[in-house]
Amino acid sequence: MKKILLLLLLASCLTQVNAQGQLINGKITDENNRTLSGATIIIKGTSITSSSDESGNFQINTGNQLNPVLVVTHIGYVDEEYPVKGRSNFSVRLQQDTRTLGDVVVVGYGVQRKRDITGASSSVKATEIAKRPLTRLEQALQGTTSGVAVISPNGQPGAGLRVKIRGANSITGSTEPLYVIDGNIGGGSDVNVNDVENIEVLKDAASTAIYGSRGSNGVVLITTKSGAAGKTKIGVGSWFRTDKIQKQLDLMGPYDFARSVNAQFVATGSTAPFTAAQLSDFQSGAVKGTDWQDELHRTALVQNYQVDVSGGSENVKYYLSVGYLNQPGIILNQWFKRTSLRSNIDVKINNRMNLKFLAVATIPQNHNTEYGGGLTDPFNQAVEWDPTSPVRNPVSGKYITNSPYASIQFNPVAQAASQVRDNTGTNISGNAIYTYRIWNDLTFTSSNVYSIGNGFGQSLDGPGTSDYAGSGKGNAQASSNRSRSFLTSNYLTYKHTFGDHAINLTGLFEYQEFQNTNFNATARNLSSYSLGYYNLALGATQSVSSGYSADALVSYMGRLYYTYKDKYTLSASVRRDGSSHLVEKYSTFPSVGLAWNMKKENFLQGSNLFSDLKLRASYGKTGNQAVGAYSTIQRLNLGIDNNNQTNYYYSGGGPGVAGTPSVAVTLGPGVSKLLKWETKATYDLGIDAAFLKGRLTVTIDAYSSKISDLLFNKPASQVNGGGNYQTNIGSVSNKGIELAIGGTPVNTSNFKWTTNFNISHNRNEVTDLGGLDNILQIGGNNTFNSILKVGQPLGEFVGYKFLGTWKSKEAGEAAMFGMKPGDARYVDVNNDKAYTAADYQTLGNATPDYTWGFINDFFYKDFSLSFMFQGRQGAQIYSQTLAYLWGGLGDMKNATTIEAVPENLWTAQNETDNPAWSKTSKNFNGSSRYVYDGSYTKLKNISLSYHLPAKVLSRMRFTNLELYVSGQNLVVITPFKGYDPEVDQQPTGNAISQGQEFGIIPNPKSITVGIRIGL
Amino acid sequence: MKTINSILSTAIVTVICAWLTTGCTKKLEEDPRANLTPGSYFTSQTDLDAAVAGMYVAIARDGSWGFTSKMTSYFGSDDLTTDPALNKGDMREFDRLVGSSSNGSLPNQWVGPWVGIYNANNIIANYSKVPALDPASIAAKNESAGNAYFIRALSYYYLVRTFGPVPIVLTPVEEVSTSYPRSSVDSVYQAIISDLQKAKTMLTTTKKQGKPNVYAVSAILSDVYLTMAGWPLNKTANYALAAAEADFVIQNGRYDTNTPYDKVFSTNNCSESIFALQYSVGGNLPNRSFGSTSIPLEELALNGNSGWDDFYPEINFFKAAPVCTRTDLTFHTTIKIRNADKVTYTLVPWNSPATHAQHPYYEKFRAGLNGDGVNETANTIIDMQPSTNKETIIIRYPQVLLNYAEASAMAGGGPTTQGYAAINQVRARAGEAPLTPALGQIAFRDAVVFERAYECAGEFGVRWFDIVRLQLLPQVSASRDATENPIPAGTDFSKKYLAPIPLSEFSVNPSWTQNPGY
Repeated sequence: MKKILLLLLLASCLTQVNAQGQLINGKITDENNRTLSGATIIIKGTSITSSSDESGNFQINTGNQLNPVLVVTHIGYVDEEYPVKGRSNFSVRLQQDTRTLGDVVVVGYGVQRKRDITGASSSVKATEIAKRPLTRLEQALQGTTSGVAVISPNGQPGAGLRVKIRGANSITGSTEPLYVIDGNIGGGSDVNVNDVENIEVLKDAASTAIYGSRGSNGVVLITTKSGAAGKTKIGVGSWFRTDKIQKQLDLMGPYDFARSVNAQFVATGSTAPFTAAQLSDFQSGAVKGTDWQDELHRTALVQNYQVDVSGGSENVKYYLSVGYLNQPGIILNQWFKRTSLRSNIDVKINNRMNLKFLAVATIPQNHNTEYGGGLTDPFNQAVEWDPTSPVRNPVSGKYITNSPYASIQFNPVAQAASQVRDNTGTNISGNAIYTYRIWNDLTFTSSNVYSIGNGFGQSLDGPGTSDYAGSGKGNAQASSNRSRSFLTSNYLTYKHTFGDHAINLTGLFEYQEFQNTNFNATARNLSSYSLGYYNLALGATQSVSSGYSADALVSYMGRLYYTYKDKYTLSASVRRDGSSHLVEKYSTFPSVGLAWNMKKENFLQGSNLFSDLKLRASYGKTGNQAVGAYSTIQRLNLGIDNNNQTNYYYSGGGPGVAGTPSVAVTLGPGVSKLLKWETKATYDLGIDAAFLKGRLTVTIDAYSSKISDLLFNKPASQVNGGGNYQTNIGSVSNKGIELAIGGTPVNTSNFKWTTNFNISHNRNEVTDLGGLDNILQIGGNNTFNSILKVGQPLGEFVGYKFLGTWKSKEAGEAAMFGMKPGDARYVDVNNDKAYTAADYQTLGNATPDYTWGFINDFFYKDFSLSFMFQGRQGAQIYSQTLAYLWGGLGDMKNATTIEAVPENLWTAQNETDNPAWSKTSKNFNGSSRYVYDGSYTKLKNISLSYHLPAKVLSRMRFTNLELYVSGQNLVVITPFKGYDPEVDQQPTGNAISQGQEFGIIPNPKSITVGIRIGL
Repeated sequence: MKTINSILSTAIVTVICAWLTTGCTKKLEEDPRANLTPGSYFTSQTDLDAAVAGMYVAIARDGSWGFTSKMTSYFGSDDLTTDPALNKGDMREFDRLVGSSSNGSLPNQWVGPWVGIYNANNIIANYSKVPALDPASIAAKNESAGNAYFIRALSYYYLVRTFGPVPIVLTPVEEVSTSYPRSSVDSVYQAIISDLQKAKTMLTTTKKQGKPNVYAVSAILSDVYLTMAGWPLNKTANYALAAAEADFVIQNGRYDTNTPYDKVFSTNNCSESIFALQYSVGGNLPNRSFGSTSIPLEELALNGNSGWDDFYPEINFFKAAPVCTRTDLTFHTTIKIRNADKVTYTLVPWNSPATHAQHPYYEKFRAGLNGDGVNETANTIIDMQPSTNKETIIIRYPQVLLNYAEASAMAGGGPTTQGYAAINQVRARAGEAPLTPALGQIAFRDAVVFERAYECAGEFGVRWFDIVRLQLLPQVSASRDATENPIPAGTDFSKKYLAPIPLSEFSVNPSWTQNPGY
């Protein structure tokens, strides 16, 4: 393979064919006779292309075709074809149409006309992105693409989103798609979304198999903007947004809380701690207590600025941009800032050679944005903290650190205000794409990306933080992380048309390597905290650590497209990936696809109903590289469990003295050398149809996939060293259907209405677990449990089924459980009169039945109004936040929810289903009591914008000026009682623990005002 | 132009191709440069020392034996109970004899010994690789291995008493997915005895803080033999072996009972500490079984820290304690409630309604190391910390004396003069009069068991394991005060002597059978 490639490349240098063609001039306009720049003109069946300039003019040589045909395409317009027939001047008028089948679409390692595509994909354009004040790329996919479930699992500034294409394909591996930015594979989703021209989401195996061992979660191809020849364009945009929490939980005030605590103490045989005098002070308001939610929550003002400059000549085109985002959080003392710079330069070296150079730098800065949810997060503690306690000691003015009631954790306001976690990244990548047209039909492309990322983190747990309060000592840390990656993709593309046949062949060799080094320094017990984290030498004890990892991937890929009479297209590809992670290095991933353009058949040629109709079918295999570097090598570790317990002290320590350390090395967890990739086989069937000259489009896809050799991070027996080890077990299937409908119900000169609706259904099912019926994921009594069970979706919640309370008339039966009326009652599955793990049942699942998006745009004269609803149905949430509010669980001593006031609890007179305080009752965290319906409908966006009329603009020397006001998440309809049904404990991937929610910062409700100016 | 084109492209293409064909495929070999691997380790005594220290960290840390959770399943004992409400569900379950396999704290009792065994196996399998030619080097290497044999035996000893049958794994694990069957209790004891006898040949007679010597081995061995003489093996022939091992320590060990009782619990490496796990707060390895853990919720230090209320004695256990200085030093009976001024304290008796639990607490576990747990005066609590530098004594000299007294009486026809001397040495330090002379065999045995209950009250499973081997749950439960956490009527005590295998472990060994009653 490699040798053939080499020969082809060398041969290419020796031969050139002279083209003898005809020169054609033309002008391209839209339906309103406005000139269109940036249209692509192709001589059909060749790779001869040109584009229209600023005034819509173009020039092209027809090459050596016998009957040359011009194909004119422009993103957002219907393709047109014109047989040349000897004419030398063309006036082309393109029909505007945002969602037709005519576009040229980006596929892996090239572009393809959408009508020849055999696979399933969805795209999002810059015009859609511009409608909302987006801060992350993934937000652009939410609600706009079918088959793509996007949730925003954490409302912190700068937090990533979770994208799942056609269901979960892995248990413990990531379920995130592969991002390819301008050919940079695996470059992540961190790109300035305002620089993005187009996003293409590849969903089926015919599209993703060319990415082999990384394709099984789907692929998101991102193309950034580029300049067009002509006058320099300057775009300036800015928006300001206020973010605030959507709602607060309904908690007890100090009076109710004190009554509740008294009731609990008395019921469990103790003396009521709050006196009558205290109660009356709380009741009258003489003593105010604290509303911890109010103390912690904030309204944030988010600012975003973008300036871009583009233009160029026929030979050199450029797009330059700078963006700045400043996003404070909706809780005290956190923010995210990002500066991004981009320079896309396209140089036409000569008629055959082209060099594109893309340079990007992003500088993200995070301040206290590491709250991923969990018991100790301040956001969670704000609903668990004692409302009778003040924030600060009224005499000393110092923070109260702990309270004898409710949560045993640390004062959340003190923690949030006092801790410091700063992280700054500097990520730079350069991408050089060199294309060389060897013959008219044969092109060599070499895309080379070098990326470096430097992260620098500094943190301080000084006075006012829980670490400091716990030990009387704080610590400061500095850590540095440097990652480096190099990717070279080299491929030959051969496009040839003869008679009714068109072929397009691609052969690829690719190599990618990654290297990571890190360094961490920690200083404990600083002699002075006045310098913050800037001088670690002040620490009484210091520790350092460092690490290194490297891996590499070597790949070969071949692909064929064959089209007959523009009606039938066959695609086939094979990729072979060699990875450093496995003992058996190489794996192969094939695919095949078919497309039938029925509109081209005689029986539909005359149809007025169909303006287009296409059937597609595909099959292919892809992989998931969820095995990390060094997974098959057992290691010895310094210390144990990364707890910084790296020494033993045979002679013990003393007050303020660590003692004499002896370095401690332990044997790490066991490994399995038989690891393989997970592989996924997918079938896809699709229909693309357009009606009424493209005013109504419908795309339907049905798919079925099976993932085998599922990677599973299996808990090892403690006998074998404990921890987890990676192994391949069983399989899982995803079956689903997707529907996308687009339409233009009204299109008059003054008023236009476009509408788009998409809905997706996916059924996820575990089909095999290596012979086992189920695998239980245990968190213990105080945490969340889930189960993998054959016949059920991944990550089913498991626990006791809550039945309310034992009633008075059931006292006899309750006694058999050692319980009494008023105690919590659960289903005793095996009827052994005890609640044990044998009584666990499945309680719900985070996988939704449907996800959908509904977008409407109205254009009236210079105004446009847009709104977008997005939602999901049939997903459950396991809310640990709400569980803890009932008290008696884990570190939560008393209840804080308003629902737990004494008169709502069970009494002999009022037998409610809220258990009474009791010594014998059990409040299991793992119970159906805390499983909620997580369905929601959100008005994700509504925006109104006004474009200044052209007359005014020309006087102001602007080409465009747009003012807009918009709102995000203004309406949320959900049965969920917590903060936000969209949040999830697992920010990225890992299907098994999805759907758990524990004190995660919710998505804010926002109002935005913005302006866009074009010069 | 065309020539330039050709030259340029040929050059570019050639360079790329040459690089591709030579450079990259060999990069598929992995080289974890920042990680130690078993293949490259154990090349020197330094490597071996680090592995031994690693074994101790693994067993001593929080999550193993560093916190009160190491006693979770022993709360069925009368020297341990916990808060009726609060967040003490894990301990309360076992206190009420309704413990379950899904208990959140129970895994610590399972994990602790197994990480000890896992790391000990690595040392035992590899220590001979360390080059050593001269006698001093050979002795050092053997002593390292002796530590590993000792810890492996000690780990199995806790496992077999807590969980019953467990797998015997004496070599490093080759295949991580292997599920080993549970071996019989008898065979586990044989492995323990074999390891201890091996350890005895490799260790020295020198007393070294934090490390075992031959006397530590004999002290544990005497305990092992004594336990084997009771339930479930009932090998009464082992009484004589137990007495002999204890006698070896008494005759040669140079340990004594001269340390005042309270100092045993507030200093490290005292004259009766035979083997102990060592801790260092500054070294990030704190002991959290002293200090705040046994302090009532109502007791707040001047700095605002409050007690954790994890464990304290049952009321009738306290009431039955002999009147002596040891009892005064063991129990905390005056609760110091901080007044609203946050400066002064009101002292109330343990059964005052002003306290929520109305129980006595442990005095002896408060101080930690010289007050790094609780620093207090008669009427003020200055500071209170959950993390201390205090060692956890695994076995101390009075236990050897009491083992000797019991074993020697049970081995022969009844109590011996030396047996009386041994128990009376313990009683003398406790401030008690000598034991009534001329007791019968069983009466004497019961007197020793009673003495051990109060000498070692609240200490890591000592009382519970007496209850287990002598099958005392019916009596112990009958004497419980009515206000204690209730034990369900009709509880089958015979199924409560073993803890369940933790659910997390049970679910990865599906072929195992759970202990009866769970």
